[in-house]
Amino acid sequence: MTSPLPAAGEHAGEDLLASYAAGTVEPVVVWSVEAHLTRCAACRGALSGHVDQRRLARNRGVLLVRVAIGDGGRVHRLLRRCGVPDHLLRLLAATPSLRGSWLLSVIGVLAVVAGEAAAFRHGRMPGAGPAIGYQDPAVLAPFLLVAPLLVLAVVAVAFLPMFDPASRLAVAAPFSGVTLLLVRTVCALAAALVPVVVAAFVVPGPGWLPAALLLPSLALSAFTLAAATLVDPRAAAVMAGGLWAAPALLLATSNAPLLIVQHHAQVACAAVLCASAVVLLIRRDRLEMGWKR
Amino acid sequence: MEAMKTTNVRTAVVRADGLSRRYGAVRALDGVDLTLGRGITGLLGPNGAGKTTLLSILATVGEPDAGQVSAFGLDPRNAAERVEIRRRLGYLPQELGYHRHFTAAAFLDYVAILKEITDRRRRAQEVARVLAATGLEDRARTRIRALSGGMRQRLGIAQALLGEPELLILDEPTAGLDPEQRLRFRELLSGLPGEPVIVLSTHQADDIAAICPRVVVLLRGQVHFTGTPAELAATADGRVWAAGERDPRAHLSWRGGDNRWRHIGEASPAGAELVAPTVEDGYLLLSHAADAR
Amino acid sequence: MGAREWPQVAGMRPGAQERDDAALLRAVARGDDDALAALYDRHAGWLTVRLSRRCAMPDMVDHAVQDTFLAVWREAGSYRGDADVAAFIWGIGVRRLIDAIRRDQVSRRLPWRAAQPEAVLSAEDQVLVGIEHGRLGQALAGLSPELRGAIEATVLDGLTCAEAGILLGVPEGTVKSRCHRARVALRAALAGDQSGPEPPAHRRQAWGTS
Repeated sequence: MTSPLPAAGEHAGEDLLASYAAGTVEPVVVWSVEAHLTRCAACRGALSGHVDQRRLARNRGVLLVRVAIGDGGRVHRLLRRCGVPDHLLRLLAATPSLRGSWLLSVIGVLAVVAGEAAAFRHGRMPGAGPAIGYQDPAVLAPFLLVAPLLVLAVVAVAFLPMFDPASRLAVAAPFSGVTLLLVRTVCALAAALVPVVVAAFVVPGPGWLPAALLLPSLALSAFTLAAATLVDPRAAAVMAGGLWAAPALLLATSNAPLLIVQHHAQVACAAVLCASAVVLLIRRDRLEMGWKR
Repeated sequence: MEAMKTTNVRTAVVRADGLSRRYGAVRALDGVDLTLGRGITGLLGPNGAGKTTLLSILATVGEPDAGQVSAFGLDPRNAAERVEIRRRLGYLPQELGYHRHFTAAAFLDYVAILKEITDRRRRAQEVARVLAATGLEDRARTRIRALSGGMRQRLGIAQALLGEPELLILDEPTAGLDPEQRLRFRELLSGLPGEPVIVLSTHQADDIAAICPRVVVLLRGQVHFTGTPAELAATADGRVWAAGERDPRAHLSWRGGDNRWRHIGEASPAGAELVAPTVEDGYLLLSHAADAR
Repeated sequence: MGAREWPQVAGMRPGAQERDDAALLRAVARGDDDALAALYDRHAGWLTVRLSRRCAMPDMVDHAVQDTFLAVWREAGSYRGDADVAAFIWGIGVRRLIDAIRRDQVSRRLPWRAAQPEAVLSAEDQVLVGIEHGRLGQALAGLSPELRGAIEATVLDGLTCAEAGILLGVPEGTVKSRCHRARVALRAALAGDQSGPEPPAHRRQAWGTS
């Protein structure tokens, strides 16, 4: 009763495929059909005709969208595994100042300033003192001026509406403006502090310099955000910049630039930070970009 | 020019009373009253008439100097209710800026997150849905800077459709679309599920005639007409005539494709060859009258 | 009765396609998303049907199909060209389905829908069944649904006992014992024929092709 093995080119009939697709075929026949399908591209193609085409098209669209969006790369995958929600990561991806080019320019400027200071130390620039252990603090003046301002700039770009091309969409959307703002600002802050701290290690300054830059940077950023709830955000950023640049320049000309990151200044920065935090807390619903009054 | 009484008996979903807004010396809106029901309402007026200002106020992106707005019974001046309005809102601003380095799908994904769709798979489904609705499925992976102007416009419409909004505010949605795309756009709007409230602005009368069952004419910050396109055309009854020669008594004259002159004026001269007025004729007459004041 | 000619599926013959599956997969590994779309167009249909026979929930099947091709997109480079592309895709697909079931805490999956016997097999289909299984087929048909399910998952689908357990909604140990009992029952059924206690080698071969 054994039948011969099928000749090459034999296929399953349309009715059989239709029944298989509809699920009205016995289990054993299902197996034989499936075993055949694994070997026969023609029948696989024929079977497609019996599947709901709209369903296929829908899944195809979703697939291509997911391919287009991607999973963000290794960093995103790692952060996701650590529990960071995917939607927050994607919001960050849309933050202008986290864009590689922006960060690169920050690093570039820092490299120039740090390089200049290091060159002073090694006596390659005119006017340098003897190249021995003690560093001339005047060398640090440009770096001390620029570093926190750069952090401020990166943070400002993260939250100023003028740098967000789709800011009106962000305003008109239900997603909390405060959350959006804080997520972006905190991450911009972290992303900007890394090159600054690294540069602080390179620069010929005292060993506590990297740590000493943290509070001023935080204080400036917090001040800008708090001021943005009271005045125009751009004006707030400029004010904050001035608040740092003025004393830094003053101290640089009186040849004591390091004072700006030393004890009293640190206390002042801490005070500004706390005050700003309080203002932000009180006026947090004014943080919605665009809803100024 | 007295405003036509509206024959719309649908329940008003969005109401604006006495809206006023000025920018310096310019009165963008001057005592605008408006009601919007389910279905499509067209906002017709020249550039500078206040359409964008009005739409941005309705979209909770701008604040009026005077007057109030109510949408779904919610007041945008209340922070919590504002967020609730935004949950049901889809907004296409004029000259929407894009993150140009984003792909179309990534941009839509970003907007979907702003609309609080946090689940990754549901977001992909929504993005795929609106891409298919606007005919951009093949462009999911294309960067926005590589899209043509018309495609970018469609992308703007697509982002407004995310989340199936109940209130759709579209500022000049047909700008940059060719006639075939306008047809698709028309089909798209008519086929939206749930019959949302749709208001779109345009300065082209033929868009109104083709798409909108209701039209509001806005001139110099004031509403000059509310009603159906047919009623708008009817305001020019007996005031449009044709002749072989140019007629100096007309307010506006131009030579048509059949090489005859078409005239619009306050009253047609006796014995003139009257022509059936179009929506555009009615609009031009209103516009002229408003200018004359 | 003589062997009847099967009707050829119109217009499609193996080998006549533009790029074969392996070439498409290589293109996908290089980042060509058009190639992925082409692979989807070729394989999503049968994959959807085959997965639907294992899981009665269409949403879960949809998710599994999407995840399958996403995995193909990411892991196309790992395809060594040893197995058939369809088998490669099935291997990913069935495991994605299992993941989907695992994620859905309440495993409400039913073993495939009970066959409605009103579908009368045509003479051609009977021959097809006869070619593949013959007496083995009858022996299989005589197994209870639980035993058949266990054999199907482990042999036809190529799953481990743990994976089969998730698919069937039973513990791994239960799968193992069911497989054992199924094999015992099959041997007993086939022992009743002249061909001896073991299914003949070429019949076992037919199993192995999937």
